[in-house]
Amino acid sequence: MNSKTLKILSVGFLVSLLFAVSAFPTANTQPTGIDSGLADMVEANGCSCHGTEPSAGVGISLSMPDNFTAGMTYTLTLNVSGGPSPMEDGNQGGFFITASSGTLDSIDDNVWKPEGRTHLTQNEDGNNNREWSFNWTAPESDSIVVTFKAYANSVNGDSDGSSGGSGGDNWNGASFTLSGINAAVVVDDHGELSTPQKLIYAFTIIAVTLGVVVIGNRMVTKEQSFEEVLKCYWKAVYPWLTTTDHKYIGILYIGTGFAWFFVAGILGLMIRWQLFEPRLDGDFLTYQEYNSTFTMHGTTMIFMAAMPIIFGFANYLIPLQIGCRDLAFPRLNAMSYWLLPTGGIVIYMGYFTGGAGDVGWTGYVPYATAESSTVPGTDFWVAGQIMLGASSTLTAINFLTTILRMRAPGVSFMRMPLFTWSIFVTVFLLLLAIPVFAVALILLMADRTFGTLYFSGSCAGDLMGTTACSDPILWQHLFWYFGHPEVYIVILPAFGVLSEIISTFSRRPIFGYTSMVYAMATIGIISFVVYGHHMFTTGADPLFRFVVMLTTMLVAVPTGIKIFNWLATMTEGSIVLKTPMIFALGTIITFTIGGITGIILASIPMNIALHDGYFVVAHFHYVLVGGTLFSFIGGIYYWFPKMTGKLMNERMGLLHFALTFISFNAAFYPMHNVGIAGMPRRYATYDPSLTEMNQMITIFAFIFGFVQLLFVYNVLHSYKYGEDADDDPWGGWSLEWATSSPPPHNSFTEIPTLKSAEENE
Amino acid sequence: MSLLDEIIFPDNPSIWHDFGGTSSGYAGITWQMMIWSIIVGVLVFVWMTYNLIMFKHKEGDPEHKDALKVGVFPHERGDPRIEIAWTIAPLILVIWLTYISLAPLNYLWDVPDEEETDLVVEVVAGQWYWSFSYEDNYVVPSNFDKCSTNVNCVEVPHGSIIRFNINALDVLHAFYIVEIGVKQDAVPGIETLAWVDTSDVSPGEYNIYCAEYCGNSHSEMLAKLYITVAE
Repeated sequence: MNSKTLKILSVGFLVSLLFAVSAFPTANTQPTGIDSGLADMVEANGCSCHGTEPSAGVGISLSMPDNFTAGMTYTLTLNVSGGPSPMEDGNQGGFFITASSGTLDSIDDNVWKPEGRTHLTQNEDGNNNREWSFNWTAPESDSIVVTFKAYANSVNGDSDGSSGGSGGDNWNGASFTLSGINAAVVVDDHGELSTPQKLIYAFTIIAVTLGVVVIGNRMVTKEQSFEEVLKCYWKAVYPWLTTTDHKYIGILYIGTGFAWFFVAGILGLMIRWQLFEPRLDGDFLTYQEYNSTFTMHGTTMIFMAAMPIIFGFANYLIPLQIGCRDLAFPRLNAMSYWLLPTGGIVIYMGYFTGGAGDVGWTGYVPYATAESSTVPGTDFWVAGQIMLGASSTLTAINFLTTILRMRAPGVSFMRMPLFTWSIFVTVFLLLLAIPVFAVALILLMADRTFGTLYFSGSCAGDLMGTTACSDPILWQHLFWYFGHPEVYIVILPAFGVLSEIISTFSRRPIFGYTSMVYAMATIGIISFVVYGHHMFTTGADPLFRFVVMLTTMLVAVPTGIKIFNWLATMTEGSIVLKTPMIFALGTIITFTIGGITGIILASIPMNIALHDGYFVVAHFHYVLVGGTLFSFIGGIYYWFPKMTGKLMNERMGLLHFALTFISFNAAFYPMHNVGIAGMPRRYATYDPSLTEMNQMITIFAFIFGFVQLLFVYNVLHSYKYGEDADDDPWGGWSLEWATSSPPPHNSFTEIPTLKSAEENE
Repeated sequence: MSLLDEIIFPDNPSIWHDFGGTSSGYAGITWQMMIWSIIVGVLVFVWMTYNLIMFKHKEGDPEHKDALKVGVFPHERGDPRIEIAWTIAPLILVIWLTYISLAPLNYLWDVPDEEETDLVVEVVAGQWYWSFSYEDNYVVPSNFDKCSTNVNCVEVPHGSIIRFNINALDVLHAFYIVEIGVKQDAVPGIETLAWVDTSDVSPGEYNIYCAEYCGNSHSEMLAKLYITVAE
């Protein structure tokens, strides 16, 4: 290929890329959800309109004041024009009107309010008019915008004509909005990009530019054609797309987890920037965008960052630790993995369709039903969560079968490494908890999409002659029955990692192996009977609340055993302070703080004061970041030599730990104080007296975020230039250290046998 | 160093002194929680530091006889007596903490009945406002002039037992009197209640927040509670 065709090709490539970027779907759908056809709505609202299709020739106008004051009564006039010319003395028209708030009342004989209804329509006398007047009393709040929906018939009055008198008649519908005097006027920013969209575009542009630079660079330096370069990259990518090897899938899981962690971290920093000072709606993010931001931050961190990182380690390590060549169902494993990025993308589709889900990671109803949460992103949120749930369930089945059936000779249950044990307990939690969440999500989806009433809560609506009431608390029971074990799903494997690291770097066996196993099993069992502690303020049964307070407190006992056992392992050991060990020790400190605040929150009187406040936010960040994330970063430092055959840079690791530990505590510890001072969580703005503290949190949160780039650099740098590692660089005992670094294609050249120190003597 | 001061001494009277009068045992449990937290935290930290000082690996240290070997399940290490001790001790501690949590609950959940209640306030939560109304036969004292409207503002007498009957119109909200530490969810279709004995709090202005996420203006769903000495 000569250079001229190459030039044309690259220009064409660039142009098509630019076209693709500009053509990326950005359409905003109806801000109030999808209109299910005007005619349906008319039927549903009880308007007997003449004909099935509205007619554009009919005009409807409603005279109203410029704005309203709470509780005042106004006289409004509805006028219909156009349509057929009326006959003398005959009927001329009819109407139907509802108001989203406030009360409509008739003031004369032309207008009729049906018994027990809130809408107005014409009566016999009103049939002969095309203009009607009535009263509307404003609601108790004037900081809202009221919508009137009106339908009107324009009638020709030939009551004995064709099709029962409605032939030749036309009708139309219209809606009118009236703002309260204190309503915040929403600026219509249609066509403007929202901040998250801008960020997504910025990252797309950066990624495309990087792609062009990398490919172009290779074309120039290696003098390859464009196709050759792509072929070369395809060769590198292809095995990753088609692999069923547990080691490849493990690394894919870990990589995907950290990639989503990066995305959700940016969302977290956006939350912090919004809270840098008390901001008005739209100063940085609009309140709507803020709600989407914290929803996506929480959902991504739990389901798309923490869980995949755990599954990645489990994928990589379990076959190595129990001495088998792969998981029991390798193809199922690949499918579980591919459900993860696709489910994640589905959840993020909300950003391209008019706003990501805004229901919080807990998705409490009735807010999460279609009436309140009208952004299309919530539907994507529900659908994507179901996919992620399927992924976790399948992978749990896989791990369970593998651990039960495929252990090498000598690896009996009570000789499994503690990380494998932690995953073994976790899979039971997954199998018992995730399906319940999936069921709840399917019911919610039915509510949102098909109009069922599992969670809608309101007793309004006349359904087949009965009043349909549903219990909004039901969702909380279903969600937390899953949600609390979920918290242990992400913390138990972290305990496993800590046990491995602390034992290895103390150069002694773990203290109380048996009690460690029983402690994990106990935590797993108790986790199913504590969920009510998320519902202390809902008005639940006092006995129920007392029981879950007691069981929640009891979780401290097995957790305490684990912490004491780790410390006892170090005592009389020979402690080597390498990066993984230092991360493990830091985790013990931060996790202990998170555990203690957990006990404080378990006490009902304390919980009533602190519930749904920043104290809770501080608590779960100490557990999930200070517990799970820190120990798995330690796990990366620990198993990186096994995965790649290279040691990570020790100095950079220590610097990373020091900066992370300091900035983490400086950012998250003050959240306890903000919470005690009374700032509720999920607030987009706050009392100005808390500004100073929030600014400190924000500054250190940004430092915490940027420090993680050092970790990324360390991983990439060490992968390329790191010192070669031998098979057992840290002196661990379990079978993954018995194979080479990195492990051969089938993990073990021959199936190993685990010996026992007791028998060897 | 005022920021540091704030971090060490968080300021919220409802936590440190009383539960807005709704409980005598409340301050006690806060202090006990605080003290036990510090004891446990210090224990872990000191033990870890001790380990790091005493048992740090030095060049040429002899390997312990049960040191780890690759591919060999190590010796079982442990001491049942110690392990049972640190199972029992936390057990006793958490049972004690559960026990002391009951005293405020006993008071909190003993909701005054009709005769003991001086005033019932009906609270209605909607997106995004609070509206308040007194019970039907309540004669509003003449000096109650803090509120021009019953939306986002309520004035109650000092020295009385006030009960709030809480309802929600649309989605979940939570009635949260910040400085008094009362928090109760408002659930559509279910009437919940909260109560305060205003003789235990000083007259003045108190903030009411919505503490349960309820949509766009969640953070602006604020109201004022005025406690006034009636004339």
